[in-house]
Amino acid sequence: MSAQRWQHWRGTLVRVGVSDAPRAFHLLDELEDWAGSEERSLITQLSEAADPDRALLGLVRLREVLSVKEREEVSALLADPQSGRRDRLIRLLGASSALADHLVLHHDQWRDVAAATIRSREELVAALAGEVGDETGPQAYDALRVAYRRQLVQIATVDLMNDAVEVFPQVSGALADLAGAALEAALGIAQREVEGSEQCRLTIIGMGKCGGHELNYISDVDVIFVAEPADGADEDEALAIGARVATAAMHACTDPTTEGSLWQVDAALRPEGKNGPLVRTVASHRAYYERWAKTWEFQALLKARPVAGDVELGATYLDCVRPMVWEASKREKFVEDVQAMRRRVEDNVPPDEAPRQLKLGHGGLRDIEFSVQLLQLVHGRTDESIRDRGTLAAIESLSRGGYIGRVDAHELDGAYRVLRVLEHRIQMSRMRRTHLMPTSSAELRRLGRAMGHRSAPADAVVTQWREQAREVRRLHERLFYRPLLSAVARLSDDDARMSLESAQDRLQALGFRDPRGAIRHIEALTTGVSRRASIQRTLMPVMLQWFAHEADPDLGLLAFRRISDALGSTHWYLKMLRDEGSAAETLAKVLASSRYVGEMLERTPSAVSLFGSTKNLEPLSREQILTAMQAAVDRQSDDDDEAVLAVRSNRRTELIRIAIADLAGVLVLEQVEDAIVDLTSATLQAILDIAIRHVEREHGRALQTRIAIIGMGRLGGGEMGYASDADVLFVHDPLDDADIEVAKTQAGQVVSYLRTRLSGSGPGPAIEVDAGLRPEGKAGPIARTLDSYAAYYARWSEGWEAQALLRATPVAGDPDLGAAFIELINPLRWPADGISEAALRQIRTLKARMEAERIPRGGDVRSHFKLGRGGLSDVEWTVQLCQLQHAGETAELRRTGTISTLQVMTEHDLLTSEEALQLRESWCLASRLRNASVLWRGRPVDALPSSLTDSDAIARILGWPAASGYELHEHYLRVARKARAVTEMRFYGTDLSEMRDSHPSTR
Amino acid sequence: MDRQQEFVLRTIEERDIRFVRLWFTDVLGMLKSVAVAPAELEEAFAEGIGFDGSSIEGLARVFEADMLVLPDASTFQVLPWRDETPGTARMFADIRLPDGSASLADPRYVLQRALAKAADKGLTFYTHPEIEFYLFESKLRPDGQPVPVDNAGFFDHVPRGTGHDFRRAAISLLESMGISVEFSHHEGGPGQNEIDLRYADALSTADNIMTFRAVVKEVALAQGYFASFMPKPLQGQPGSGMHTHVSLFEGDRNAFHAAGSPYQLSETGRQFIAGILRHAAEITAVTNQWVNSYKRLWGGAEAPAHVCWGHNNRSAMVRVPMYKPTKGQSTRVEIRSLDSSANPYLAYAVLLAAGMKGIDEGYQLPPEAEDDVWSLTDRERRAMGIDPLPASLDHAIHLMEGSDLVAETLGEHVFEFFLRNKKAEWAAYRDQVTHFELDQYLYRL
Repeated sequence: MSAQRWQHWRGTLVRVGVSDAPRAFHLLDELEDWAGSEERSLITQLSEAADPDRALLGLVRLREVLSVKEREEVSALLADPQSGRRDRLIRLLGASSALADHLVLHHDQWRDVAAATIRSREELVAALAGEVGDETGPQAYDALRVAYRRQLVQIATVDLMNDAVEVFPQVSGALADLAGAALEAALGIAQREVEGSEQCRLTIIGMGKCGGHELNYISDVDVIFVAEPADGADEDEALAIGARVATAAMHACTDPTTEGSLWQVDAALRPEGKNGPLVRTVASHRAYYERWAKTWEFQALLKARPVAGDVELGATYLDCVRPMVWEASKREKFVEDVQAMRRRVEDNVPPDEAPRQLKLGHGGLRDIEFSVQLLQLVHGRTDESIRDRGTLAAIESLSRGGYIGRVDAHELDGAYRVLRVLEHRIQMSRMRRTHLMPTSSAELRRLGRAMGHRSAPADAVVTQWREQAREVRRLHERLFYRPLLSAVARLSDDDARMSLESAQDRLQALGFRDPRGAIRHIEALTTGVSRRASIQRTLMPVMLQWFAHEADPDLGLLAFRRISDALGSTHWYLKMLRDEGSAAETLAKVLASSRYVGEMLERTPSAVSLFGSTKNLEPLSREQILTAMQAAVDRQSDDDDEAVLAVRSNRRTELIRIAIADLAGVLVLEQVEDAIVDLTSATLQAILDIAIRHVEREHGRALQTRIAIIGMGRLGGGEMGYASDADVLFVHDPLDDADIEVAKTQAGQVVSYLRTRLSGSGPGPAIEVDAGLRPEGKAGPIARTLDSYAAYYARWSEGWEAQALLRATPVAGDPDLGAAFIELINPLRWPADGISEAALRQIRTLKARMEAERIPRGGDVRSHFKLGRGGLSDVEWTVQLCQLQHAGETAELRRTGTISTLQVMTEHDLLTSEEALQLRESWCLASRLRNASVLWRGRPVDALPSSLTDSDAIARILGWPAASGYELHEHYLRVARKARAVTEMRFYGTDLSEMRDSHPSTR
Repeated sequence: MDRQQEFVLRTIEERDIRFVRLWFTDVLGMLKSVAVAPAELEEAFAEGIGFDGSSIEGLARVFEADMLVLPDASTFQVLPWRDETPGTARMFADIRLPDGSASLADPRYVLQRALAKAADKGLTFYTHPEIEFYLFESKLRPDGQPVPVDNAGFFDHVPRGTGHDFRRAAISLLESMGISVEFSHHEGGPGQNEIDLRYADALSTADNIMTFRAVVKEVALAQGYFASFMPKPLQGQPGSGMHTHVSLFEGDRNAFHAAGSPYQLSETGRQFIAGILRHAAEITAVTNQWVNSYKRLWGGAEAPAHVCWGHNNRSAMVRVPMYKPTKGQSTRVEIRSLDSSANPYLAYAVLLAAGMKGIDEGYQLPPEAEDDVWSLTDRERRAMGIDPLPASLDHAIHLMEGSDLVAETLGEHVFEFFLRNKKAEWAAYRDQVTHFELDQYLYRL
């Protein structure tokens, strides 16, 4: 080798894609005459190989084992530019190290590569049978393997010499035929090996990709064996022999010999799976499918195709089972089964592989195949024209029948081919069964070149794959949902239309309970020439998909129709749906999972604008809300009742905002509570202002007293839910020179106005203003003066009475007065020396009595959120008792919230952190359940629902997967039970551990 | 399974079966039965048979919907004692919700769940119960006391032979139902018998125990006696226990066996025992579920009232039996607290859960008890770290109430129901004015 030559070729080698140029240069030297008189010729051919280094090495290895004469023949082949065959060897050797190894071992097969062609099934069967001959045992196994690979290298060569995407159907079909021919040969071997095999007629049915005539280079070959006794043979004996033959045939394919093995033969799709007998008669298959088979088994049968053995028997079998496939969709559990199967397909990816998976996961090969089969099952019952076995053929038929749009079908076809070719190239490289994109840059580069990319092949192939993945990402929308529109509206002139009946079948299979109604709504939303109809036509498929994923698709669709009817062609609405990306999705999800929001939106469609931006989903502060409310009040300066309506409308909009954000998962429990508390106190303030204005107007003079509203209970604690009442105390303080009686009257009127206007019907849900915690309860005056409160509280002697005051916080009205009231009660609720034994007993007794009396009749003591075992009130009383006892000495305990106080209690060793955790968990879960129940049902709910549907829907709102209603129940009961144990110990002072027996005789 | 169902339908046809009883067990371990005609069976396999769960103890409806019973074809048996044509057959059934999911209130499911949890760790739970019971004359004495059929003792060959005939009849019936019987002999009390069922996985064993009780009662009736599984029917005589030998298998390997270690007991086996002991008190309400159970438990002699283990120590709650050198697979642990009236599904579920907890958490096994625990004083026992089991149902309920292990094993629904039911039983018992009280107090006070 001269340095000059090296310099001369170095650049060329690199340009044709060689990675290790010095090594390639050496190898070229070894090739001698093969390298061509003009070395250039071979080197430029190298650029055709996926991996030129590998190709070169392969040539060298091949050359070593060839005879002189053969070397000359190859040399001539490589040099002949006319034959069109010269780069066949190079492409094959460069694409697959496994096939290169095979060629070196069986070097005569280079001629087969050179003359590669795709053969028909019959030719393949004859070729394999010819090579195996009459052999049995190991010789036969070896011959079968060699013969099989002789054909395999040819198929691979044809694949590599053409546009792979274009020839994919022929290549995958040939692979399936080759597998069939191998099974045929294996069956022949088995029949020679098993004594008495002539007594049993046996057919091998190809299933899966083999049956679908679209096999991979290497994967399990799914089969079912069908047997019948030959004329005059005893059935039991024949079946026993059949089983032996089938087993032997499987061994002939799978057993590793010095020539390796073909592939695994998997007979698990047979009736009863692995537990069932390996062979069955046609009648036995029929009996099984008629009686026991599950929906997925019919889906598998869709692919069944006789591939080897007795031809007549195969035809009989098909005639028997094919019709049953199409009856599957009439089965009772079909819809549920299909939905569960779909969930499994989508969820079934190991997380660490998800980003590299070609086969599993959303938009993967399995998903495409499954979706196509599903459509075939749903519609194939009434339409024979779509009963194809192969995926590509089925896509075309479905498109022709109008079950998928034409453009979608075309793109899907393309995407499927590209994904499959990627899979083929990855498998071919080492003949390994894999469906994962490689990760190393060398492998990616090789794959990219194998896919035909020459510049930056590694990046290009990743880009290509991503593009196809994007193409199929909206697969379900395009396959399942978009065609539904064609049933009610003409989409484009090219497309065939789906019939109304088919559309109903489809909707039901997708989870709509009232397909007729759904069709009506879809029709109303999408027909016409208006801009709205045209936008909604585009949007409807994906909206339907979003609805179908939630608890109540029908509810969502109906609400969407109502809102769309109300908003008509409002321009921002259409723009939002069309342009804002996630807006339409959130809208669909909210409408199909929440009656609460749906009902409010139907009354204020304009609030739909909240969906427009995620910024809109941040709850407003009390000041922001109040400013807006006061502006609305000022605009109604003459009409107090109108002003009230304006405030309540405003509140409704804010409630919708909070609920949407909650459902969208933007807010945690604490934020929801804060938002509702802010909204409630702003509303109280705004209405109080109107009430004062109203009373002043009535009296024709200014108010003679100052008024403050003190929040109690959950309002004061800052922990309100959607359905919480506003617990309050009203306090007023007559001005210095006021007439006390007038002041009292005025205060009473203000409070009464405020309460009636908030609790009556009006825009949005009412607020129940509950002043039941006031002195003397319902018998006492509704508003008292500060002095009167002071006098009343002074009569308390035992210390337990102040419990209700623990959460008191001023929420509206005169801030100074509010502060003065708090000043008044602080020493009562946080007594310096704690509370007495007697007071402790009183509180415990009170709570025990409440537990006995307050659970509503017929209610379950466990499932009631507030009063149930381990529920909200158990947690709150435990916290409050601790505050009464210790807030005097521990200033940090002087707070009104439940959860934040729990934290302080652990810091001061008043509770172990384990106990605090259990209380917090139960309290938060009950609060979240209560909120979620309101969102789902649209009205207050006190306890775990007794219907599984409700429970499931509520679980979804809490972020649990579909169909977890029962687990949610069980989970809440467990959490609450543990919280109750803490309450038993900390509140009631019960200690279980001190109650052990000892032996009676020595006690 | 589906072939099994086919087999069932065929057998029914061939043997002219007119009724099939679907058996299931309520939370208290009582056998319940729904009879279906063969024509309905096919549907029962596919869809289940609907029934109103609220009428069954412990199945009270969690959700407002009917329940389904779904027959388990692998348990199909023709009932041999109704020796008549047309015949009757039975299958055990699972209880399902209308959507096909398992009912959390079904004791069989409680055990299946516990077994599945162990199976996740690759372990299978095998059990082998020795079931004791009494045979009484069908007529009670005028004072209400039962009359034992004989007065023999342990292993005696009884000349009159009532028990012998009886055992032979019962065993042949059991065998004809596919339940293998290992051993049978006369037990310590008059009229008391013991029959051992062969080793099987815990679910089969539990099914077999339910069948066993039904068979024994049937045979006794046919011979003019009655059989009782009451834990302590006769004061001053031994109670009826259900000592159960248990072991865990990892595939074909006995996970309790380790050659060369003390008693050939592996670390796993030691941890399992430690789990049973540590949680013994809180699971007692399940393994010994009646007021009467505690009269057996605290009856002295071989009844195990103390939480300890020993080798061939018949006063210990857990015994590691003599190891047979030739049978590595036979390493096992005998739990002696169980009584014959337990709900076998729940009892095996809590025992397994306690043992698995010991394995999961790597509990240390306390030292072996070598003495007769009953002969020790209270103080000696305390010094040795041997705690007593609860002495009454009341106490057992209290301990169970605080047990996460039991709640999680039984599921919240069964847990709650069980506690409520047992509290009611205790309250009813406490309301009684007993013979003891009348004898002791009526005249004296």
